[in-house]
Amino acid sequence: MEKAFLVHNEVVYTYEKLLTDLSNREICSSYLYVMNNEPYEVFLTIVHSLLFDYPIELLDGDFSEKEIGELGLHVEDVLMISDVMERIHFNDFDEVVQRIQATQKWNVTLYTSGTTGRPKKVSHSFQSITRNVKKYTKLENDVWAFAYNPTHMAGLQVFFQALLNQNTLIYVFDESMKRIPELIEKYGVTNISATSTFYRNVLPYLQEDIYSMIKRVTFGGEKFDAVLEGKLKNIFPNAKMTNVYASTEAGSLFAAQGDTFEIREEHLLLVKITTEQELCIHNSLLGYSDSLATDDMWFHTGDLVEMRDETHFTFLSRQSDMINVGGYKVNPLEVEDLLIQVPGVVDILVKSKKNSVTGELLVADVIKADEVDEKELKKEIKQFAATHLQEWKVPRIIKFVDELPSTRTGKKVRK
Amino acid sequence: MEKLLAIINEIREEAGNSTIETLASSMDLREDLHLDSLMLAELTVRLEDEFDVDIFEDGIVQTIGEIIVKLEGK
Repeated sequence: MEKAFLVHNEVVYTYEKLLTDLSNREICSSYLYVMNNEPYEVFLTIVHSLLFDYPIELLDGDFSEKEIGELGLHVEDVLMISDVMERIHFNDFDEVVQRIQATQKWNVTLYTSGTTGRPKKVSHSFQSITRNVKKYTKLENDVWAFAYNPTHMAGLQVFFQALLNQNTLIYVFDESMKRIPELIEKYGVTNISATSTFYRNVLPYLQEDIYSMIKRVTFGGEKFDAVLEGKLKNIFPNAKMTNVYASTEAGSLFAAQGDTFEIREEHLLLVKITTEQELCIHNSLLGYSDSLATDDMWFHTGDLVEMRDETHFTFLSRQSDMINVGGYKVNPLEVEDLLIQVPGVVDILVKSKKNSVTGELLVADVIKADEVDEKELKKEIKQFAATHLQEWKVPRIIKFVDELPSTRTGKKVRK
Repeated sequence: MEKLLAIINEIREEAGNSTIETLASSMDLREDLHLDSLMLAELTVRLEDEFDVDIFEDGIVQTIGEIIVKLEGK
């Protein structure tokens, strides 16, 4: 049987098909902006850019035209394609992997919600984005449940780990939770990497059984949840559990067993903790970004940590201004700037509400114009948000208030 | 049950969906009511505001009936 590269919506895409499509592809583009983030098209485009060594910018297929505009781009430019300069016939996938690893000019650019104003771009070379990818013979039969958005950092990490070892990816990101146990069994999934939110949601469907073939369970993108880990240990008794700290700026940097992260020996001089206990990362470990160009050599993560010993630390708090909804970082200012435009909204404060499903959720306090009906305005705000923003940026609960708290400098208080 | 139906309908209505007439204990939150993780998060926050119970505290809620048990068992 031909080896499967990707399984998505019951369709099996083999490595054979991927080779043929790479050999026959006639177009290339500087941007990747794929409707619904259709994973085969996303992955094919990324591998093609690597093989022909041209840079590519990844745009989330969920972005609305307005969000694309806020990145300083135009949809027409983003969708522009050109003919490929050359075509190469690839005979086997080892050839592809070798060629990928020899890329020189290739880099991938991601957009991340900045803490102020416009989202910032970060570009990574092949070396920095695959820093933590492990390629060994004993990994060649791994089968991955792919549970991330494929255009974000965590998704890319799993993608490269699987691709370079020629593993099979079972795309479960937009799959019904109910079907996941069946997919794990059917395709013999051995590795899962997902956010805590994903695990919490799939848990009710898994707990009837024990999945002994799962050998690795990875948590990424959100605060570690020890209770959840305990429950997953019962369902996946043979799995090694790892917690990964990665960011768009730095890629994947630290791994932890439980909540204690380790700084690897080669990074000891490239990581420091300020006297205020903020985690700082040396520029040489980061992707390239104009907005990251600081005068000192250190990138301030905004995450507060506590050292346990010379090489281990735990987190005290994560990036204070950003709200983490199920693994997606949201800048509340971006949402406020948009929703203040809804007729009838006088002022708006977007803040976080803790919950046991997605960790945090966006809620909004709104001052409304006198004449407006509350129920109608709630609907309008939500619909306006849903049209212009990715779904996790939509405030789910809206309350009407008479005034919003602010600090003496006039900054809104988001607590 | 009525209060729960009202809250679920509020969520549906604000999201621009039609309301539903009745709830049954056997209804699956994800499969029958099509609540995704963001909607479940919204539901849990609203129920916590109303009843002071975190229905997802121990992570395992699948049906309307299970919510009722948690709300009544507080």
